[in-house]
Amino acid sequence: MNVRRPYVRRMEPGWWWKNAFLLRYMIREMTSLLVAVYAFVLLAGVFALSRGDAAYRQWLDVMANPWSVAFHGLLLAVFLYHSWSWFEIMPKTLPQIRLGGRRLPAAAITWGGLAATVACCGILLGGTLWLTR
Amino acid sequence: MTASMEFFKADVIVVGAGGAGLRAAIAVAESDPSLVVALLSKVYPMRSHTVSAEGGAAGVTRDDDSLDEHFHDTVAGGDWLCDQDVVDYFVAHCTGELVQLEHWGCPWSRKPDGHVNVRAFGGMKIERTWFAADVTGFHMLHTLFQTSTKYPSIRRFDEYFCSDLLVEDGRCQGVVAIEIATGNFVTLQAGAVVMATGGAGRVFRENTNGGIVTGDGMALAYRHGVPLCDMEFVQYHPTCMLGTGLLFTEACRGEGGFLLNKDGYRYLQDYGLGPASPEPRNKAMELGPRDRLSQAFWHEQKKGRTLATSRGEAVQLDLRHLGAKKLHERLPLICELAKDHLGIDPAQATIPVRPAVHYTMGGIRVDINAASQMPGLYAAGECASNGIHGANRLGSNSLVETLVFGKVAGLQAAAFSKTASLAPESTIRKQAADAQARALRLVTDPGKGDRVAALRGEMAQTMEDGCGIYRIGAELQSTCDKLADLKERYARVRVDDASNNWNTAWLLGLELGYQLDVAQAMAHSAMERRESRGSHQRLDGFTERDDSQYLRHTLAHHQAGGPPRIDYCPVTITRSPPGVRAYGAAGEAEEQKEQKVSGE
Amino acid sequence: MKLEVMRYLPESDPEPRHQVYEVPYSDTGSVLEALQYIKDELDPTLSFRWSCRMAICGSCGMNINGVPRLACRTFLREYFPGPVRIDALAHFPVERDLVISAADFIAKLESIKPYIIPRVERDVSEGEYLQTPLELEKFNQFTKCINCMLCYAACPQYGIDPAFLGPGVIALAHRYNADSRDGAAEERMGQLHAEEGLWSCTAVGYCSEVCPKDVDPANAVNQNKMASALDYFLRFVKPGDKS
Repeated sequence: MNVRRPYVRRMEPGWWWKNAFLLRYMIREMTSLLVAVYAFVLLAGVFALSRGDAAYRQWLDVMANPWSVAFHGLLLAVFLYHSWSWFEIMPKTLPQIRLGGRRLPAAAITWGGLAATVACCGILLGGTLWLTR
Repeated sequence: MTASMEFFKADVIVVGAGGAGLRAAIAVAESDPSLVVALLSKVYPMRSHTVSAEGGAAGVTRDDDSLDEHFHDTVAGGDWLCDQDVVDYFVAHCTGELVQLEHWGCPWSRKPDGHVNVRAFGGMKIERTWFAADVTGFHMLHTLFQTSTKYPSIRRFDEYFCSDLLVEDGRCQGVVAIEIATGNFVTLQAGAVVMATGGAGRVFRENTNGGIVTGDGMALAYRHGVPLCDMEFVQYHPTCMLGTGLLFTEACRGEGGFLLNKDGYRYLQDYGLGPASPEPRNKAMELGPRDRLSQAFWHEQKKGRTLATSRGEAVQLDLRHLGAKKLHERLPLICELAKDHLGIDPAQATIPVRPAVHYTMGGIRVDINAASQMPGLYAAGECASNGIHGANRLGSNSLVETLVFGKVAGLQAAAFSKTASLAPESTIRKQAADAQARALRLVTDPGKGDRVAALRGEMAQTMEDGCGIYRIGAELQSTCDKLADLKERYARVRVDDASNNWNTAWLLGLELGYQLDVAQAMAHSAMERRESRGSHQRLDGFTERDDSQYLRHTLAHHQAGGPPRIDYCPVTITRSPPGVRAYGAAGEAEEQKEQKVSGE
Repeated sequence: MKLEVMRYLPESDPEPRHQVYEVPYSDTGSVLEALQYIKDELDPTLSFRWSCRMAICGSCGMNINGVPRLACRTFLREYFPGPVRIDALAHFPVERDLVISAADFIAKLESIKPYIIPRVERDVSEGEYLQTPLELEKFNQFTKCINCMLCYAACPQYGIDPAFLGPGVIALAHRYNADSRDGAAEERMGQLHAEEGLWSCTAVGYCSEVCPKDVDPANAVNQNKMASALDYFLRFVKPGDKS
């Protein structure tokens, strides 16, 4: 009786390194770690605020440190890329959308979503500036 | 090589899991869920060659259409070599089967009101071709396969290669098969066997067929004494890619495509298919039948009016006037093929095409019940010849044939199996052991002669040379001689692989054996038919149809160690006496004449 | 042109290796034709699946220079001057050479009830179900899957955990769920909600990238996550409806 001997290949540890598409995916996934880090930074600020004025000022001083500013610059870049990656896959997460009998192309969903977000951020920023003027 | 033999008992065995095989298996399962169906296929069902059919499936739906019209198109298209009782049954059951497939989920293209849409097709007077974009066969096959998974009584043997039939008491009682993954054998015993193994187009060099289309079922039945019928009738498809033989569906012409010679002239008007109108007209010009279009190519080539390309002579398929939008909507696969393989955008440039072998009208001789002359053996689909296609098949009749007669074969086999007594297992096992030894001989005792690929190449070339669009006695004779020589060399064929798992070299060797038998049946049947009819056209003094001699089916009988014995059986003619087969303006005139006669 | 082809003979090779073959180059020649040349002229022991040659039967999927593709629809000109590396389709067990085991995929396909379970029963004599072109459009793209399994070879989640139902099969389930004739979406959703269903997908999206038929399986998977999540939360919101 002949038998099968199927060979099961294990995924190599660097499986994402050799393929541009998968590399971009991994960058997207890894940037989410920094997004989490920033959430903790903000959380620390809220926590400091709850402990009183002195603690909050101390936190603000730490934030004003040049290293911290540089870190925030990095975080901003990471945030922009991470956000973009989400809009990029947004068409994949939605059912077919039809406008005037035609199917909305993927690019329209991506850019439409992005435009809506920019608009929302603008309103929020404008509103905050107006309230704190 | 060491191979074991397992034993499996079923009620019905279906060999081949394309359109006909799946439909047969479902028919058995629906008729009686207690019957065990063994569905055997050398590829996974959705790989079967039904998948490649592009154009559509015929079924009368329009108010201005009728079963009579479908009947007459089919019989005239087949040059009156059709069995008219079978054609009547066929046309009456097409639409029901297509509706059944719709209920099973087939995504037929629709009209705005939600009804199924139909399109024009070559040789059909009225639009009756159901289609699913330009991948109709693909959708039919996947619908059937997925639906078949609903029935627990269908036990599939995927990637099992059928190596022989088991015949006991003159009845077909089972098959022997090879599990491709291991090289182990299995004996399947059942009261009835349905052959649904498809055509044999790969015996020709220029062909549109997938690699699996090697005539396995035809050859197996033939070797066991069941005659192959009308094997000389081989259909060329007029619009194929040069070199690869890939097909540009007839729907290209149904949508309004033109065929041009090298001067940009619609040459079909010179071959009794005109006049050339800008809009597609049914049964005229580019929508004439496939045999006429392929023959016109041959004449153009002889006149030096074809285009020379790096892969041979071609005419041009012109779709430019249809526009990019319509092309991408109605013929997406064609656009993809042209772009990927040839770097051509059909909206911008013409596509070079030529005829290539597409379909075998002939096959295992069966009656209206899909029953062969061997009790217990049934056949349906391209491997069968039940008489509906005659001397030339109309496009879109074969997809629906797989459904109509697949179902018939399944039901008949189920009924037969219920009454059939089975031979003792020991007898069957003994026979199977012999069959196993025969199949293993290629690897356990390999010859020192030619390689399989070399013999296969020579076979395909000689079929192309002697058995092509036009045939001449002397050339046919040399093809017959060559095939005899190849068969002799096949006895010493060399298979350079003795391994067990996935030994495709061995299977290619077995397939070559099938192909040589089928090729012989084709060439000798063609040799003996001394007339021209439908797809069988001779130039050596037999250029006309000869109803007095040849309004008969050819039967090729296998003879061990020699060429086939050829004899004939009558064609069933019920209500359409042989007439003139005319297309274009001549066809319309002929029809008017007929109507006048019948009106008088 | 040089082809480095994965070889694995289970009776003699402990693990896959690569063998180099020199094949004639032509700018319209496909990788499949090159493999056929090897089989017919150089080495009959090389095994691979193929049939239709026109990218519709789904047999000849393999990893070509690391990317899952159909050999019949991949051309040597894309890799000129070579060499080209040809591996068996990634993530699947190798049976021999370029032949992988499709058993897992087939079992999954069968498991999601890939057939119409009618919303309203109808007899053949009553004619076809009416379905407008727009209703057809809702699921038509997902009917185009040829089961070539390239999307599985592209999916790292399937590579990490083969229990994942995978892009192709989820797209097929969605095809039936979205069909106006079908009424069994809820039955199928049970399986999609499971850990090995939709939620193993991390929206890599490479499956849609390699799909030769523009099925966009990533869309089928991810648009269902919304329904699946909603279904999950609604169970908390509607305490009376715990069935």
